[in-house]
Amino acid sequence: MMYLIFLFSVCFVLGVLGVAANPAPFFGAVALVFGALGCCGVLVGLGGSYIGIVLLLIYLGGMLVVVAYSVALAAEPYPEAWVNHSVLMHVLGYVLLVLLVGWCFMELFVESGVDAAGFFSLRGDFSGVVLLFSMGGWLLLLSGWGLLLALFVVLELTRGRARGGLRVP
Amino acid sequence: MTVVHFTTAGTFMLSITGLALHRTHLVSALLCIEGMMLALFSALAVSYQTPIHTNTSLQPIIMLALAACGAGAGLSLLVASTRTHASDHLHNLSLLKC
Repeated sequence: MMYLIFLFSVCFVLGVLGVAANPAPFFGAVALVFGALGCCGVLVGLGGSYIGIVLLLIYLGGMLVVVAYSVALAAEPYPEAWVNHSVLMHVLGYVLLVLLVGWCFMELFVESGVDAAGFFSLRGDFSGVVLLFSMGGWLLLLSGWGLLLALFVVLELTRGRARGGLRVP
Repeated sequence: MTVVHFTTAGTFMLSITGLALHRTHLVSALLCIEGMMLALFSALAVSYQTPIHTNTSLQPIIMLALAACGAGAGLSLLVASTRTHASDHLHNLSLLKC
């Protein structure tokens, strides 16, 4: 399990590195998908299967569809992949930076999560998220109200030239 | 640091470096902010999983909801600036020029 979590961590770091090296936005969105997959794998491997699957569903189902639609606004005739010269320099620099900092600070050890505890008949995240519907109901209402407010913010921002929230002559 | 903690901290620093150094497209900046949100989510989730504090396991979900609000606002800014300036380059968004 430790090697699997290590491989998912490498996938996570490489995905975010592919976003940070600034290729064309198409490839950045693809790299963010791989980063989210690696993060989901790490969380599921540590024992939080509910958290991992929520992350994967939100990122792949919710955000990445909208991002893939918005990326089409930034379409280029010749998009830069990671093997183009300028992006490749940044990729190699970031890889060297991560390897150097990891060589200094990281020890190759994955501590076990909820899986190795042995006392729980329920998973930790299932029994914790239930609090969102009983005692932490105000937090649920707060996040729902935030999402509703975000809907009106988006509607006002994209309304038009003269009446919206963003008035550009 | 163990592997998982180094992964969360390293991805956050990578995303913030990419946001600071590369500023051509607004979509790339928004993707870097999404990477920061991913790193924060994994940091919150790992920090309750390794000591088993199950009460705090609803913090990453609430942060994911608020991050979805922020991503929606950022993408709507992208759409609005594309409609008025015909491209999404960040040098269009100079606030002094308007």
